[in-house]
Amino acid sequence: MVTARLGHPHLGLGVGLRSVHYPHILKEHPEVDWFEIISENYMDSQGRPRYVLEQIAERYPIVMHGVSLSIGSTDPLNHEYLHKLKTLGASVHAHWISDHLCWTGVAGRNTHDLLPVPLTEETLRHVVDRIRVVQDVLERPFVLENPSSYVTFACSEMPEWEFISRMAEEADCGLLLDVNNVYVSSVNHDFDPIEYVENVPHERIVQCHLAGHTNCGTHLIDTHDGHVIDPVWELYRRAHQLTGGMSTLLEWDARIPEFPVVHAEVLKAKQHISDELESPQGTPRPEAAKRSHAEDDVDNHISEPVVPHPAVLVAAEVE
Amino acid sequence: MSDPVSELNRLQRWMQSVITHPDGVAAGIDSDSARQHIDVQRSAVEEVISRSQALDSIERLHVYGNAYYARLIECMGGEFPATHAALGEEAFSGFVMGFLQVSPSTSYTLGELGRAFPEYLASSRPPREIDGPDWADFLIELATLERTYSDVFDGPGEERITLMQADDLLSIPPESWGDARLQTAASLRLLTFQFPVQEYAASIRKQEEATIPQSAETRLAISRRDYIVRRRPLAPLPYALLRQLQQGATLGAAIETAVSNAETDVDMSTFAARLQEWFRSWTGDGYFVGVDLESDQSVTK
Repeated sequence: MVTARLGHPHLGLGVGLRSVHYPHILKEHPEVDWFEIISENYMDSQGRPRYVLEQIAERYPIVMHGVSLSIGSTDPLNHEYLHKLKTLGASVHAHWISDHLCWTGVAGRNTHDLLPVPLTEETLRHVVDRIRVVQDVLERPFVLENPSSYVTFACSEMPEWEFISRMAEEADCGLLLDVNNVYVSSVNHDFDPIEYVENVPHERIVQCHLAGHTNCGTHLIDTHDGHVIDPVWELYRRAHQLTGGMSTLLEWDARIPEFPVVHAEVLKAKQHISDELESPQGTPRPEAAKRSHAEDDVDNHISEPVVPHPAVLVAAEVE
Repeated sequence: MSDPVSELNRLQRWMQSVITHPDGVAAGIDSDSARQHIDVQRSAVEEVISRSQALDSIERLHVYGNAYYARLIECMGGEFPATHAALGEEAFSGFVMGFLQVSPSTSYTLGELGRAFPEYLASSRPPREIDGPDWADFLIELATLERTYSDVFDGPGEERITLMQADDLLSIPPESWGDARLQTAASLRLLTFQFPVQEYAASIRKQEEATIPQSAETRLAISRRDYIVRRRPLAPLPYALLRQLQQGATLGAAIETAVSNAETDVDMSTFAARLQEWFRSWTGDGYFVGVDLESDQSVTK
């Protein structure tokens, strides 16, 4: 029998570690439950990012989140990269290591984007085989996240929730349910986000992501540059009810405000969890998540092109 | 029966060709590089990419096409803020797009993306129209400086070891001085420029008004202390001496070479005092991690 969160701990409400917040965190030691790091920003670092991470890892639980594994690519897995991930995981005692169901490039190139895979039986077999290899190398819990996406393929044979459900079961891995990504993709691909959240294997959901996005009117883009909107909170409430609780993390990667603002955003989850627990029979209010995105504010002030996450680079600090 | 991975591979190669095409996804669909994988016309692209209720297939691909260059230009702007400022938004973006055609990322880390950018600027510079350093030289040198900052910032450093102090140097027996070889810090970089690019870069990083400086021979020691990149301008003679030491010359040979190659006569009456001053300053900046004595009495701090 599979236990909740695959038996992994419920770390509470965490924040994605970003370099602009290093001084605040090192000085104030805010009462954050845990931090998630972008693995690629630290695995080769011999400078300040790694030094800061070591200090933070002494005080806070750490989870590693990558953007370059490219589990769906037809290029060979990069074993040097995997071994560096493993080494970093051991160094910071990462509770688990995650990445995305995507490919980032092919023919030796890296677009540094999280590109969607066609949802076919063939892709499923390919991805499952590669997850098993990754798990064998990492020897640490491995978790995959549903990405935001902006295209679907004519050859796809199943909905994304079915693909990631079968993928997780067959490869025996955990899931990182990004409810903002579910919402963004549901608008972009005209599917029901509630159906998605209700049909993934809840006992395999180890972690949840929250973030803001940009409403371009005809589609949404996962920009991680603002507050979490109500329909996404509704999905979170539903996911919380179905999973019984999961480690929850807020990502904020562009136009990043002061740390207390970011922290306060994830702490809003407490209220949503509390409301959900107090409502009659724990009944959620999923209809809000299904409302048309046209009812939400279109971000007309944003100049094109709007750049989806990820674009995380740690810039040099010079005297 | 077709090989499923090959089908996936074809789709991925097609999509990558389409979304990274410098003239946009429509041109990408028409390109030979895409059509060799999936030969589909623009009008039939729905056979590959489904449309949504709000967007057609090409409009949906545009999201990825726009993002590819915008994301990488943004990252390059983060690594090369002064080069970005000197060129302006449009020209900087144009150079980065050209750079990505010849040096697309092949690394898992964005930290490697800009490594070859200074060389790209040098290879694509316009013909010289004046004698001496020109605007293109300034840009190439500025990019070189900023890439060096990145390398020093996140590369190997000396924060976890005890560095040599001035007193450690004084403890070397006088008879061993000439043959001693100082071990320089791994973070130390010695660079010469035709412009004081560090001043322009500093102004941009401090978000101050910056004007393109007049050319002036500039020698810099760039290093890292307490995880922050530091730079120190050097006069020709101490620069030459430090370079000799970094290349592994003994103290005696380094001094002799630096003095004999000096373009102006060296005032030997004050030289010993100046040497002391330089080494005090350099040890303070953490340039030395140990000393090898010819008698095999290695001193590593």
